[in-house]
Amino acid sequence: MIKLLIVDDSSIMRRTIERNLGHYNLEIVGTAATGVEALELVKEKKPDIITLDITMPEMDGITCLVEIMKIHPQAKVMIITALSDKLTGLQALDKGARGFLYKPVNSMALSKAFDKLLKHKSSDGTEKRGV
Amino acid sequence: MERRKEEFEATCKLFIDSVSNYFKVLTEVNSEMGIPYLKESEEIVLKDFTGMIGISGSKKGFVYISADKTMFEDLINIFLGIEDASNADILDMAGEISNVVAGNVRANLGANFMISVPIVFKGKPEELQFPKNVSIYVIPLKWKKHKAFVVVGLE
Repeated sequence: MIKLLIVDDSSIMRRTIERNLGHYNLEIVGTAATGVEALELVKEKKPDIITLDITMPEMDGITCLVEIMKIHPQAKVMIITALSDKLTGLQALDKGARGFLYKPVNSMALSKAFDKLLKHKSSDGTEKRGV
Repeated sequence: MERRKEEFEATCKLFIDSVSNYFKVLTEVNSEMGIPYLKESEEIVLKDFTGMIGISGSKKGFVYISADKTMFEDLINIFLGIEDASNADILDMAGEISNVVAGNVRANLGANFMISVPIVFKGKPEELQFPKNVSIYVIPLKWKKHKAFVVVGLE
């Protein structure tokens, strides 16, 4: 099963993401409210996918992303942030994020982004879900 | 002076658009924005719960969204399907909506428009004071049956 870590300083957002992804074959291995908490969980749980907010106390999401890429570069990180300027998006992709979503995110947009993240082509050209 | 007023009003318009987008995207119910007014008295415009964001960088000031408990409860019910939200959830909701509204303004103002993590509070804290050198616009907001305020203070 695909392991998911949800990182957002808002408890409402963490639970909303969890609720909206309930129909995927995902195991939620943890949730974190800060970048520091997230790094501990990444080391311990080695999640396949991480949703990552940017504006958080203690350690912001971009700094956290850089650290995640050092300790677990296989992780697919999807940034979910309210910071809707282009520079932040480009910066996140440059640091290793695989996806980027601007809040407010509804369930349809989240599912579409996850479909894209989970879907990849196998060597025979057929599409598969997985990581 | 006139130019600064126009610039300030243009920034307020960005916040109005951001609030409207929030409710439209997440609830599929449009919000109605009232006519903004410049706050001139010492009156502090606050409702039950408030989420406030500090602004620094290219502009300096704050924005907050203040609403009655029932509006945040209604939003939480839509997002999570729960009817008995705790005060911690209400405060979290107030912080999250203010974060999204302020963060979305960066689409127009760019990354130098920097925002803090949300500061959230219930009621009217005695220690709450606004800086003297900011102009404060109050934007009344109605979503469903709920009335709220978006308050923008900028130097």
